[in-house]
Amino acid sequence: MSKNLQHIMLKRILLKNGRSSRLWASMLALLIGNTLLLLSVLIWWNFNELLYGKDQNDSLGSTFITVGKKVTNANMGNQTATLFTANDIDSVVQAVQVQSVGMITSNQFPVFAMMGGDLAFATELPLESVPDSFLEHKPEDWQWQPGSRDLPIIMSSQFLDIYNYVFAPSQGLPQLSESSVKLLALNLKVGPGEGGEVYTAHVVGFSDRISSVMAPQSFIDYGNSKYGKQKNGGVSQLILKVKDPSDIKFSKFLQRNNLTTNSQSLRWSKIRSIVEVVTTATGVLAVLLMGIGILVFILFVELTIANAKGSLILLIEIGYSPRMLSRFMIGRFIPLIIGVLATGMLIALAAQIIATHAAAAQGLVLHTVPGIPFWLALFGSAIVLLLLVVRSIGNAINKN
Amino acid sequence: MQLTLTQLIPQPLRDKLSMRPSGIWNCDLVFGVGEYVFVKAPSGTGKTTLMHILYGLRSDYDGAIRWGKLALREMTAESLAELRANQLSIVFQDMRLFPELTAWENLEIKRQLTNTISAKEMEGWLSRLGISDKRDSLARTLSYGEQQRVAIIRALLQPFKWLLMDEPFSHLDLENIDKARALIIEVIQKNNAGMILADLDEHTFFNYSQTINL
Repeated sequence: MSKNLQHIMLKRILLKNGRSSRLWASMLALLIGNTLLLLSVLIWWNFNELLYGKDQNDSLGSTFITVGKKVTNANMGNQTATLFTANDIDSVVQAVQVQSVGMITSNQFPVFAMMGGDLAFATELPLESVPDSFLEHKPEDWQWQPGSRDLPIIMSSQFLDIYNYVFAPSQGLPQLSESSVKLLALNLKVGPGEGGEVYTAHVVGFSDRISSVMAPQSFIDYGNSKYGKQKNGGVSQLILKVKDPSDIKFSKFLQRNNLTTNSQSLRWSKIRSIVEVVTTATGVLAVLLMGIGILVFILFVELTIANAKGSLILLIEIGYSPRMLSRFMIGRFIPLIIGVLATGMLIALAAQIIATHAAAAQGLVLHTVPGIPFWLALFGSAIVLLLLVVRSIGNAINKN
Repeated sequence: MQLTLTQLIPQPLRDKLSMRPSGIWNCDLVFGVGEYVFVKAPSGTGKTTLMHILYGLRSDYDGAIRWGKLALREMTAESLAELRANQLSIVFQDMRLFPELTAWENLEIKRQLTNTISAKEMEGWLSRLGISDKRDSLARTLSYGEQQRVAIIRALLQPFKWLLMDEPFSHLDLENIDKARALIIEVIQKNNAGMILADLDEHTFFNYSQTINL
């Protein structure tokens, strides 16, 4: 009870101007500034996570490009010259901007596709496979086991475009939608002449990333080992997940190693630069608001101490230590700052949860709990605000 | 804790004070533990200035003051607060109570700093000095005499080795002076402390070990 009474008495003689509107205004400015700062960090962080994160947001984020060794007059006679060796792959893995590398395996065995009915055609078909993580959407039935007669395939969207816009009109054939193509069945004859196997292939998806027809890795491996000419078939193309393909160092790397690619996707780097401008502008505004807020807050603290100057001097004269009085003042004002910071944090966390749900509706994965940059911004601003207030209290009291 | 004064002189009064002889200004003095010192100080000789300098409230003086081993001028705000809370107490001439607190709260805010005297004992002192009925009155509504008695009690609510008193009985009648004197002596003896009392005229309220003309 005694410590309580002491505090009540100290409150009565030291905090004469109570909680004025200036104090509330400064706390509101601090709250808005702090919330904006946290939100701008969150936006920046979320976007970075979408672009570079390890989650399933590949189609949005990094650019996928396929690279192959350039076929030149010098190497065109020698097929193995355009295959990637283990050393080549290592150097690509370590190149700037490259986040991951997948090997594209192509069929080393004959594949013959046939279709009956109105669309009757028969053609040799090149098949390739990439690791599943490089597919933008992995279809549900994207699997094949030896013995199974059903084979899922993914077709390049370009194939369908060529068929619909170039081939079908010229041949008087009907145009096909993606879903109707998925209903068709192709007969694939695999292997040489007599000893071949026949599969029923279904198109289960389309891809913008790869300009051929893809089959599950297990199928290509099976065919290559059973019918392949080269048992350990070389890698002719690589698929790369690239952070920023517009990086000049990356294109220099491709040139230097004689690699070709046809992808030049700069879409996301443009959006990224817009996000950076927006978050930077919000961040600057937030810091300005917080600056004004903390300035008014500190002025209020100093005004309170100036109003209590007589009492402070008398308390020191009867033996109270300046440190103890500073602690009392800090105990009065710091909880307000902590309250503001906590409220800003809760608002930002709630916004993040809402954003996570909204993004999930778009098929994007965000984290409900923000990452390190958010907490750094929170603790950084907390430390700066607390230090400024504590220092101003100490200075104001020691002036007496 | 000895009090040592070396060639002490307040800067603003230097010219004025150098013109006349003084038992303190510009002298080298040592006051031993438990001494009762009376400083006889006619108006204008710097009585309150001396008390404030000794208590560390002002530092516009030349010379040196040592409380025990501590050189007053070199002390930090924190060590000065420690000295005032535990070694050195004072009754100000102008009382210096918190006007917005009651008599009781004015005492309580001091008592709780060191908690050396119990609230019950403090209550006893209030009634000994005849101001029990004023304990819940705001200090600004008290008469000077009542304020002076509160100020005296407040000075005794801490451990101390020296008690400084600046005209402590100026607003009290003889009967009340006697009560206050008895209480002061009792607490000083309990603390094995000394006192320095400054007043305009000589009196015999305490058995002084020395009397000095300022």
